[in-house]
Amino acid sequence: MIQRLSLASRLALLFAACTAVVSLLAGVLFNHASEAHFIELDQQQLDSRLVTLRNTLQGVDSPQAFARREPQLRADLNHQPDLTLRITTAGQRWLDQAPGVALPEAPGLHSLQQAGTAYRVYNAPLSPGQPGSAQLTLILDITHHQHFLQRMQRLIWLTVGLSALATALLGAWAARSGLRPLRRMGEVAAGVSAHSLTQRLPQHQMPAELAELAQTFNAMLGRLDDAFKRLSAFSADIAHELRTPLSNLLTQTQVILTQPRPLEDYREALHSNLEELQWMAQLVNDMLYLAKADHGLLNPKREPLALADEVEALLEFFALLAEDAQVSLVCEGRAHTPGDRGMLRRALSNLLENALRFTPAGGEVRVRLADDERGVKLTVENTGEGISKDALPKLFDRFYRADPARREGSSEHAGLGLAITQSIVRAHGGRIYCESEAGWTRFVIELPKGD
Amino acid sequence: MKLLIVEDQPKTGHYLRQGLAEAGFTTELVADGTSGQHLALTGDYDLLILDVMLPGRDGWQILQAVRSAGLDMPVLFLTARDAVEDRVHGLELGADDYLVKPFAFSELLARVRSLLRRGSSAPQDTHLQLADLRLDLIRRRVERSGQRIDLTAKEFSLLELLLRRQGEVLPKSLIASQVWDMNFDSDTNIIEVAIRRLRLKVDDAFPNKLIHTVRGMGYVLEERPT
Repeated sequence: MIQRLSLASRLALLFAACTAVVSLLAGVLFNHASEAHFIELDQQQLDSRLVTLRNTLQGVDSPQAFARREPQLRADLNHQPDLTLRITTAGQRWLDQAPGVALPEAPGLHSLQQAGTAYRVYNAPLSPGQPGSAQLTLILDITHHQHFLQRMQRLIWLTVGLSALATALLGAWAARSGLRPLRRMGEVAAGVSAHSLTQRLPQHQMPAELAELAQTFNAMLGRLDDAFKRLSAFSADIAHELRTPLSNLLTQTQVILTQPRPLEDYREALHSNLEELQWMAQLVNDMLYLAKADHGLLNPKREPLALADEVEALLEFFALLAEDAQVSLVCEGRAHTPGDRGMLRRALSNLLENALRFTPAGGEVRVRLADDERGVKLTVENTGEGISKDALPKLFDRFYRADPARREGSSEHAGLGLAITQSIVRAHGGRIYCESEAGWTRFVIELPKGD
Repeated sequence: MKLLIVEDQPKTGHYLRQGLAEAGFTTELVADGTSGQHLALTGDYDLLILDVMLPGRDGWQILQAVRSAGLDMPVLFLTARDAVEDRVHGLELGADDYLVKPFAFSELLARVRSLLRRGSSAPQDTHLQLADLRLDLIRRRVERSGQRIDLTAKEFSLLELLLRRQGEVLPKSLIASQVWDMNFDSDTNIIEVAIRRLRLKVDDAFPNKLIHTVRGMGYVLEERPT
């Protein structure tokens, strides 16, 4: 129930509760203070009246003496309608105007409530310091104080209620306007679909608390947009890549079949078809491999590998190709890491092949291995023209070829090699990037240190 | 050598059968798992080629039935799915090899021959020979028509492979795997370069060529009528 309340209502209710508690506390304190103040006033009043009474009754120590003073006393008391008096001595009552109430007998000030009327009762001896002195009991009617206090309390409750209501309403309004950026965020999120991944939250207009969220949200949208574009481009590229060999196959087969030919021509056509088909099969296998990587299904083994040995084996494999291209192959350094031999060999072979392809005769391909506490660093560096700055970030994209001339109808490379290398490196928890300047290009693989 | 193919796709099955028959094997083809299992258990085959997805009983079930009946002929799986779990599952059940579609027929043929050879422990050769080409495994020397030919270690391994499997078309991937221990699909032309170099030493000076390229399939070492 509570969880379903909107943020705005929740805030409004909390504001209201806070105001109610605060004004209630203030009211209770004020009430106490007024009561204490009234007690003090009454005490002063009773003290001064006691002084007057003591003056009037000075020297009275017997009923006879009292009888003589009684008329003056009554005249005094008549001027004070709110005061009644009882005079007691040794169990006798000289005067008793007290209402039918059981009065406290202890000396000092007491409060009393009787039949809708409130009293202050004050017990004091007539002649202080004399043992056996008559006891005065002053009874002051304080009903008007009590009325004032009750009005006061009603006012306090009213204030508590009204201020709570007012803060609830104001709070609701404040919360709604305060949360407006959040609603706007929601609207943008709701507007996101496969067709409109371009919308972004206006970050600079966001309050500080939401700016970070907006930034994260925008970054997520950016990644989604990017991934989606790549995916769309990937599908388009697959279709495009397959179109060339398919149209070759179709044309060639149809042409061959249009008229009778010598056996050798058929054989030649089939061989040629076979080459196209093998290229397509390789492409499909590479794409399946990448799809597997995308689904997190490349689970590399973690066998301890001496990378220098693996690189040596690969350089031996590539030695003939390098010799043909008059490029020297060098490996330096050593490093150990747990990994999957087959996968890492495949990843490296793609890099080496790539490097060899772009190294001019007389150049060099150098593999460097380095090992430190953070991890393993493997670089494949080749001399040559270098790769343009624009091309660097796209190198690992599927079907990307730095050299557009190779694009059409090239029978060897589908442009998936570096994408596969990247997938393998990532499956090992590492990363790969490329640096290039005029004269050299360097691919760097960083693998984390194994457990 | 008698092979059983259980494959439900008619075209694939037909071509596999034809290809294997022309390579000299006696083959039988069935298209569903139930009769496949029955034949596998009763037919006394030297090797089984099983598709994983089959009507009736799937390839795994047939393999299980075969192994629990105590038969130990090699089993080669064909599958369209390249899931790692499938591969692990198959190997756990006792499959001997595994090919993912699309595959090249030359690859299949090479694997079938490897599997069949694995069982028979041929006496260790000391010499390999084809026509006037002779390879001495112990002294690691190669001669043709009595002339000594100097080969690098890798060239020697390559020629040894070609000679041991003479008459078979060896796909590039198999050569890369056997000679350089590179077990991944690579579209490099390293093998072409290696073969070209080997030819230069072994074939170029002689009128009858022994190393032949089969376009789109691989390389074969054999004597061809000139």
